[in-house]
Amino acid sequence: MSSPSLKFNSDLPLLIDIQLNFDKFSLTIKQELSLQGITGVFGHSGSGKSTLLRIIAGLEKEINGTIVFNNTSLIDSKTNQFIKAENRNIGLVFQDSRLFPHLNVLGNLQFAAKRCRNRRLNFNEIIKLTELESLLEKHVDELSGGQKQRVALARAILAEPKLLLLDEPLSALDRQSKASLLKLMLKIQNELQLPMLYVSHSLDELQQVCDKLLVLSQGNVIGYDGIHQVIHQLNYTQNNHAQTSDFIHQQTSLSLPIKTLNNGHGLATLTLNEDDEIYLPALENNLTEKSLRCFILASDISISLTEPMNSSIVNHLFAKISTISTVDNKVMITAHCAKEDGEQEFFVSISAFSQQKLALKEMQNVYLQFKASAVRTYLY
Amino acid sequence: MINPDLLALFTTLKMAALTTIILLIIGTPLAWYLAKMQSRFKVIIEAVVALPLVLPPTVLGFYLLIAFSPQYLPGQLWQQATGQQLAFSFSAIVIGSVLYSMPFVVQPLQKAFEQLGEPLIEASAMLGASAMDRFFNIVLPITKASFITAASLGFAHTVGEFGVILMIGGNIPGETRVLSIALFDHVEAFDYAKAHILAISLLAGSMVLLASIYLLNNPNRKAIKRDL
Repeated sequence: MSSPSLKFNSDLPLLIDIQLNFDKFSLTIKQELSLQGITGVFGHSGSGKSTLLRIIAGLEKEINGTIVFNNTSLIDSKTNQFIKAENRNIGLVFQDSRLFPHLNVLGNLQFAAKRCRNRRLNFNEIIKLTELESLLEKHVDELSGGQKQRVALARAILAEPKLLLLDEPLSALDRQSKASLLKLMLKIQNELQLPMLYVSHSLDELQQVCDKLLVLSQGNVIGYDGIHQVIHQLNYTQNNHAQTSDFIHQQTSLSLPIKTLNNGHGLATLTLNEDDEIYLPALENNLTEKSLRCFILASDISISLTEPMNSSIVNHLFAKISTISTVDNKVMITAHCAKEDGEQEFFVSISAFSQQKLALKEMQNVYLQFKASAVRTYLY
Repeated sequence: MINPDLLALFTTLKMAALTTIILLIIGTPLAWYLAKMQSRFKVIIEAVVALPLVLPPTVLGFYLLIAFSPQYLPGQLWQQATGQQLAFSFSAIVIGSVLYSMPFVVQPLQKAFEQLGEPLIEASAMLGASAMDRFFNIVLPITKASFITAASLGFAHTVGEFGVILMIGGNIPGETRVLSIALFDHVEAFDYAKAHILAISLLAGSMVLLASIYLLNNPNRKAIKRDL
């Protein structure tokens, strides 16, 4: 699938400046999104993330402000401009698939393809890409949750949108289907260069596939940046936002080059810098990715003042403490290690007791230690 | 000379068919509007539509008779436009039937549209389908059974109508003399043999029609078919 005709133009900014008031909920968002690759939208329920997606899709009408996409104004409340959902050339995959029950899988896909104005995609190639060959004649009631979402994704792509919105598409699926659909999203993004806006309340899922992350809280933007930066910012803000602390684990989020997939002893290695590697459980041998997205929970890292040579814990990194902050007897420490292109920041949470025992100070050199199994990846 | 009862049957079928077509054309948008409506006035429109269910047909017939007479505006306008009197005409009984059978068409459609809701309509809009496209290719095929129910009930109820027609149509062979009126005539003339034939035909016809509707709406219909 390397023909250039399949490429979508992915360099389209989305300018959002909107205000919406419901009875008990208001949304005020002013943000420019660059829409390169997959942009995540994160927030707890009631943060307005699904509403934002419905506004961009054209499914919400009572809106003040403007949305400009691809240099076209989709909404402009001052000039009463409102482009209808069907004319926006934006796709939306819903949480609940919404497949048409009177059509089989093929019929659902053809419904989308027939209504596409300038068809560039090859119908059969998309079916192959989404692995639906064996399901085409099935009735939609006969599909599993994961299969339904794959059909919904294929159907949305066949309408050839300029932007694909995904509204919690994985939330009803089991762990395995989630991982396989996330991989499919990455594959689609790779092959078609179709920009996606992906709403989820699961940071683990977002961390695996998103390039950038937009964070909403109570109808407002509280963060927008590269995925790792935003996740690291959330490590701090969760102390200030009681509502979000329920489900954000403080963590170090990183992408590192893969050195070996399996060292023969059940471990894989990632390159951190000239001297240091990070060990994690062995990866599938057929993995083609050059680098790996992973995360380490702050509670999974411990600190040692001397290099722990006689330990089963395989990862120990030389690092320098940059900050120490204490909230309610919990200490959060940030420390940095050298990395090929600068520094890698690590987040460590320890008890106030340990901090006093070790008398840790800023700028102090320490060793961070964590087990291979503490290096987590949602996908592999 | 054609058998007067066959002529009545022909008039009845013509009236019922025309009424059903008109009701589908005006009842569908009305049902759609009611299904989507959130205003307080919804209950008032719903009550007006449902009124023929509880009102004695003679009450509706009485007011229509007055409205259709040349002394009042609707009757006057009709006479100016067509050159003919509206009361005691075939057109009058069709208009009367449309009002009288309205709830039987609007209510099943409204319920079907409410059940269908927005999800699939939104999904098809997101695939580039226009409002008309969505109606004919999503809404209509999915609610097909309700359309058949609505049309059948509207048709059957119109065939069984008596009071309204007697008030505004009278008993003009080939124009307003329908089966139910013909039956009444036979009974008044003590011609019970002919009355029996008409009565049993109406009974059997209605029975077959209703049984077909219930079969169509049986949720296990597909399973039954598969078992067979």
